[in-house]
Amino acid sequence: MNIARTFEVFRQEFTHSLRRPLFWVQMLLLGFMVFMLSTGHASMQSGDARVGGHKAWLTSEFAVAQTLIMLISIIYVFFVSVAAGMAVIRDDEQKVGEIIHSTPLRPSEYVWGKYLAVLASFLGVLVLQVGFAILCNHLLPHGSNADYIGPFSAGNYLRPMVVFAIPTLVLFTGACFAIGGFSRLPVLVFAFPIGVLLLDAFFLWDWSPAWLSPGVNRLLQFADPTGLRWLKETWLLVDRGVDFYNHARLELDPLVITQRIVVLALGLGCVALYQRRFSTQLRGAKVSERQREAALAATPNAPDPDERPEVPAPLASLGMRATTPGALATMLEVARTELRQLVRAPGLYLFVPLILIQTLLNEYGVGAFDTPLLNTAGGLATGMMNTLTLLICMVILFYTTESLQRERSSGIGAIYYATPLRTAAMLAGKAAANTVLGMAIVFACFAGSLVVLLVQGKVPLDPAPFVVVWGLLLVPTYLVWTTFVSAVYAATSNRYGTYATGLAAMILTGWFQMRGNMNWVFNWDLWSATRWTDIATFQYDALPLVLNRIAWLGMAVFFTVLTLRLFERRERDATSTLVRLRPGALAGALASLSPFLVVPLVAGSVLGWQVNEGFQGAAAKKARLDYWRKNIQTWKDAPTPAMAGADLDVRFDPPRHAFTMKGSYLVENTTDAAMARFPVSYNPRWKELEWTANAAPCSTEARAGLLIVTPPRPLAPGDTLRLGFSYSGRHPDGISKNGAYGMEFIMPSSIVLTGFSGTDFVPQLGFFPEKGIEKDKNGSDPREWPKDWWKSPRNHAIFPSATRWYDVHMRVDVPADLQVNATGECVSEQVAKGRRVTEWRTDHPVRIFNLVAGKWVVKKGPGVAVYYDRRQPYNVDDMLAALEGARRWYGEWFGPYPWKMLRLSEFAGWPTYAQAPAGNITFSENIGFLTRSKPDADAAFWIAAHESAHMWWPNIAMVADGPGAPVLSEGFAHFSALLLTRQVRGERQREAFAKQMETRYGRLRRADSERPLVLLDGSLPGDDRIWYDKGGWALWMLDRFMGRDSSLAGIREYFRTYRDSQDPAALENYLAIQRRHAADTTSFDGFVDQWFFHVVVPHYLIDEAKLERDGKAWKVTAEVRNVGTGTMTVDVAAASGERWPDERKKAPAWKDARVPLTLAAGEGRPVTIRCGFEPERLVIDPDVTVLMLERNKAEVRLVPEPEGAVAAR
Amino acid sequence: MLEITGLVKVYPGPVAALQGIDLDVPLGMFGLLGPNGAGKSTFMRILAGLLEPTSGRVTLDGLDVLDRPEWLRERLGYLPQDFGFYGHLSGRDMLLHLLRLKGVSAPGGIAKLADELLERVNLSFAAKRSVKSYSGGMRQRLGIAQAIAGSPRLLIVDEPTAGLDPEERLRFYHLLAELAEERIVLLSTHIVEDVAVLCPSFAVIRHGRLLAKTTPRAAREAIEGRIFEGVVSPSELPELRASRHVTQELLVEGRHRVRVYDPAGAAPAGFGPVAPTLEDAYLVLMRTGALPGLRAPQRPAVAEAVKA
Repeated sequence: MNIARTFEVFRQEFTHSLRRPLFWVQMLLLGFMVFMLSTGHASMQSGDARVGGHKAWLTSEFAVAQTLIMLISIIYVFFVSVAAGMAVIRDDEQKVGEIIHSTPLRPSEYVWGKYLAVLASFLGVLVLQVGFAILCNHLLPHGSNADYIGPFSAGNYLRPMVVFAIPTLVLFTGACFAIGGFSRLPVLVFAFPIGVLLLDAFFLWDWSPAWLSPGVNRLLQFADPTGLRWLKETWLLVDRGVDFYNHARLELDPLVITQRIVVLALGLGCVALYQRRFSTQLRGAKVSERQREAALAATPNAPDPDERPEVPAPLASLGMRATTPGALATMLEVARTELRQLVRAPGLYLFVPLILIQTLLNEYGVGAFDTPLLNTAGGLATGMMNTLTLLICMVILFYTTESLQRERSSGIGAIYYATPLRTAAMLAGKAAANTVLGMAIVFACFAGSLVVLLVQGKVPLDPAPFVVVWGLLLVPTYLVWTTFVSAVYAATSNRYGTYATGLAAMILTGWFQMRGNMNWVFNWDLWSATRWTDIATFQYDALPLVLNRIAWLGMAVFFTVLTLRLFERRERDATSTLVRLRPGALAGALASLSPFLVVPLVAGSVLGWQVNEGFQGAAAKKARLDYWRKNIQTWKDAPTPAMAGADLDVRFDPPRHAFTMKGSYLVENTTDAAMARFPVSYNPRWKELEWTANAAPCSTEARAGLLIVTPPRPLAPGDTLRLGFSYSGRHPDGISKNGAYGMEFIMPSSIVLTGFSGTDFVPQLGFFPEKGIEKDKNGSDPREWPKDWWKSPRNHAIFPSATRWYDVHMRVDVPADLQVNATGECVSEQVAKGRRVTEWRTDHPVRIFNLVAGKWVVKKGPGVAVYYDRRQPYNVDDMLAALEGARRWYGEWFGPYPWKMLRLSEFAGWPTYAQAPAGNITFSENIGFLTRSKPDADAAFWIAAHESAHMWWPNIAMVADGPGAPVLSEGFAHFSALLLTRQVRGERQREAFAKQMETRYGRLRRADSERPLVLLDGSLPGDDRIWYDKGGWALWMLDRFMGRDSSLAGIREYFRTYRDSQDPAALENYLAIQRRHAADTTSFDGFVDQWFFHVVVPHYLIDEAKLERDGKAWKVTAEVRNVGTGTMTVDVAAASGERWPDERKKAPAWKDARVPLTLAAGEGRPVTIRCGFEPERLVIDPDVTVLMLERNKAEVRLVPEPEGAVAAR
Repeated sequence: MLEITGLVKVYPGPVAALQGIDLDVPLGMFGLLGPNGAGKSTFMRILAGLLEPTSGRVTLDGLDVLDRPEWLRERLGYLPQDFGFYGHLSGRDMLLHLLRLKGVSAPGGIAKLADELLERVNLSFAAKRSVKSYSGGMRQRLGIAQAIAGSPRLLIVDEPTAGLDPEERLRFYHLLAELAEERIVLLSTHIVEDVAVLCPSFAVIRHGRLLAKTTPRAAREAIEGRIFEGVVSPSELPELRASRHVTQELLVEGRHRVRVYDPAGAAPAGFGPVAPTLEDAYLVLMRTGALPGLRAPQRPAVAEAVKA
């Protein structure tokens, strides 16, 4: 190889790369992103959110590595595909091959010179990007973002560059270069980044369910060419705390080192492979001997000298005529020719399988408790929208550009554009042909979805949702994008300029989405903007969806007109162009285009106004802030009367999301002092608001959503007042900003409202200082409570007005096709004139109330009922079993269930939650109803058991509004569900449920901000996961620690104490009661101290496990370490067989020999276990009784060898 | 009649490719001669509606075709100098595609017409082969076939015989001659022989300007008696080149047979008068900028030629 010639090829290609708009657009994009990251417009997910708390540095090696990987995989890859993939194709199109390959230049010099130039240009971009990041991070001043910037360390930038960025770049450039060279087809080159994105972003990076075996996980880490999966699974899965990530070096293991080398080698190998092929093909394709002989045999004989050539007839005899072909005929002809090209190109056969695989992979999507969700037609249709949008928009970008470029590239342009074909018809024909590819991909996705539903078997095949979602929502996106790309190409007449613009548009759209700055007006691709519900399809978002689509279809028309005006069929003259750009001419051109902007501007303006006026708009935001600003100083902690009764008469107008309310509260002064005034929060957007006191007009002062009621005379302690109110309201009041959903709503097919959460439905007694707080603007650090706060007799209940029991009477008027479930029992029902009016009265007092309506069928059991949509019967039996079990076993264990019925009702699945006011549980359709239960993961039962437990905790035994109290609600519900699951479903299910809780806790905990259970108050990120999962576990372990009988005795005493108390419970109260029932209070104190008053979680690892013969028996030895915190006694078991064998298979029964082991934090100890059978594995805590991190690492396989055993994971 | 008035084309640079062309092209064959880079292709592309001029006017049968290129395209057959085809189509399919795009019809249908046109250009044997496999000459013939399809009113052929062997070139001459009987055929070439054979009149363009518009006969007559031929040795040739207008040189058996032009009609020693060829006239025009006795076309002022 001649270095000088190679360098010459390199130099020419490199300088060309630097001059291209693609290069500069990429630099600008990366620069923008680096700057935004550096100035705090993107944040890491670790660290302590409190003031002065440790923050995760953007400049740590871990953070830099993640950033680099993401940027290269999402941004670089597309630019690489164009630059590297087109390097050889471009020379073909410019027909320079004949000349340059007739020089002494050798194929290897040509190939490597070109490739190295492409690689060097991207390495240059990488260096500039990293350099700019260093500049922004360490040299520019930082204000509010200073906590996120650590000290400069060159290694933090260089090591991730070398380990992660460069090998990935080498692979991407090499693969794209080779694909372009081998195929000479631009569209095939673009399949590579799409494939990478689909494979990585939608699968390899995030898919890691708890049941995935470690071996498969390692394989997937090796398969991910970017290295991000390895980084996440090895270092980020379990939060090690921000101090660790800020200061530690990113240690590599043999797997990732090998993998990076393989990635590097693959990239270079692709180029080497192409170079070999290029060398053999350059001087012409070789033919086989058989082909040679056949060709020679076909050679015509020498001409006959006596033969005279025929004299052709005159041309006029052909009778030819020419007219302008019709528009439709032209369009069809162009489309036909384009399609012929399309079906011959491999792109079609690549993208279709790609999307098919992606659709089928969706089969393994995970939902609540890490269990798969039942796939429904609507769920798949909306679930696949983002993937289809991204994939097809990328395909449209490349195919449309190449299609419009084709005439120039192939050289037929001069002839083609000199024909009388109409430009509009030609463009329409090309668009129609490209649409076929898009439709093929959509159809493949549809076919894949049908396969998923067929294999799943439970849910009926229904094509309607696909037609609705993809036809009405997706197709306009494609039209907009196609016309936009066409307009850009028409304006620039430059293929690379079009790619750069298109990629920039997509990336910027994604950026605004990610930053939460997108809204309905600009969300042209409806990314994550809508969710499917079988119950109330599009009822929530109908208006913004329609306006959005109209606006963007209008823009599609505008782009089409722009394309027709600008498409350069005739090369433009520079002077004429300048003339056309003069202000007068430009104004004239814009004026002629303006009619086409009317529709999008009008629709967009209406939509923008709706967004602004909606519940996430500026007006609503201001209302919330005004509530806080006006009242925080005066009314925070002001005494408030307690709710003593509620009487409501409400009429619903679901199509308008509206209701009218006339009702009253009976309020009682339960304080020691008279109340001259008291606050009541209400919704300032309610209309026709009127207030009365004891049925007479009363003096009130409205203060931005807080009403100050002045009774005719001060309310003495013990006195009551009937506060009357009437108003009309809407919920949701207006549209969202970009597809958000509220927890409660009024829709034609589903209504869910509560009396304890916000002021969307009913007024709330008191002032709520957390309302109106925007965490990033006026949020504060959590309150530091006094250690003995829980001893105060004046604590409030966790829900407003839930301090004491009261009765509720509701009269509910809905359209006749809706059924209602409300708090209490239905005492009357009338259906007349298209309306259904039901009356509800509590059969036993309650502390909170709610109302839900839907179009249901019902399944009943003794004292229980499940109301559900007839299309979703899948898990109803499991839920009913949980309700029945709850009534029976919770009643027996904890205390009697006081209400007549325990009902569970389904509502539309926009929000995904379940809630349990007294006797009237509400479930989103995406919780429980659509869960796909497995033999070891009956999530529907678990969730119903959890929500049922809320009848006791805290509907009956109310908890205080203070730190740790949520553990008594949610943690206790999880604990109760564990007990019920074991009782009704067996130990296997209990273990599975416990493991799911443990895995979720381990993955979602924030090591730096995790607080002890007694201090949790929901103010820090991750608090809720802890009080659910860790709280549930801690109560479960406490129950085991104390022994069943003692624990239950304590629970019953707690229940009795707080059932009727107006002093709600704190966690300390519960622990104090349990202490009285503990056999050994010293041990009890030690247990409770570490699990409730400190943050501990053990983390066990096994080293040097060996299996040896010991006479006729076996001996297992190992070193067991606790690399976490906390001291617990665990069983270490040598085991064989299946713990929970599948009944259908004949699996060996479980056998184990175990020893108990107590390890403190950081402690390690050897264990020796002798067993009379050959064990297969060594397991810590086989019965899942101790909460730990990374349980899958606390188990090793044992393989005997003649001289000893080697442990393998 | 094709009338071109004050046609100017300036490319960014700036490069003045056409500096004000005035030309009337009658029915029949009309040649446009000029060296490489003279502006012939620019001129042709403007006429074919593929390039916007900086200023000027072009009318065909009285209608301004620069303002209405779509009207011209219905009546145009165009064979560019440099072109390609869709590689994935066969020759026949490619031609059919273009026939449809041109709205061509024929009594027997366009499929039959396509076959006949391919027969005319001697491509029947390769009709079903992919265009990707065609030689340069075969692509040229396919280009000719599509250009003549539909009986266009104006046929523009730019360097049409490039890549054709002598037999094919002859066949093409006959074809063009037949076509020129009823339409305007504008032939752009730097091969003088093509013009000599085919064109009753022609124009010469150089550096974007029209040097001459005349007939082959008139061009030859303008230099009658001024062309002399002789044989010189290689050592004498440089001095001859320096002192005379040498129009042609041919090496024969080691000596140079040279033709020279003398405006005064004085032959160099050892040279005898010969009948001038059109090539001589062309070369004289290139060297001296004019032919004696022939009025050069009027050049419009550039300032007038540029539109406001």
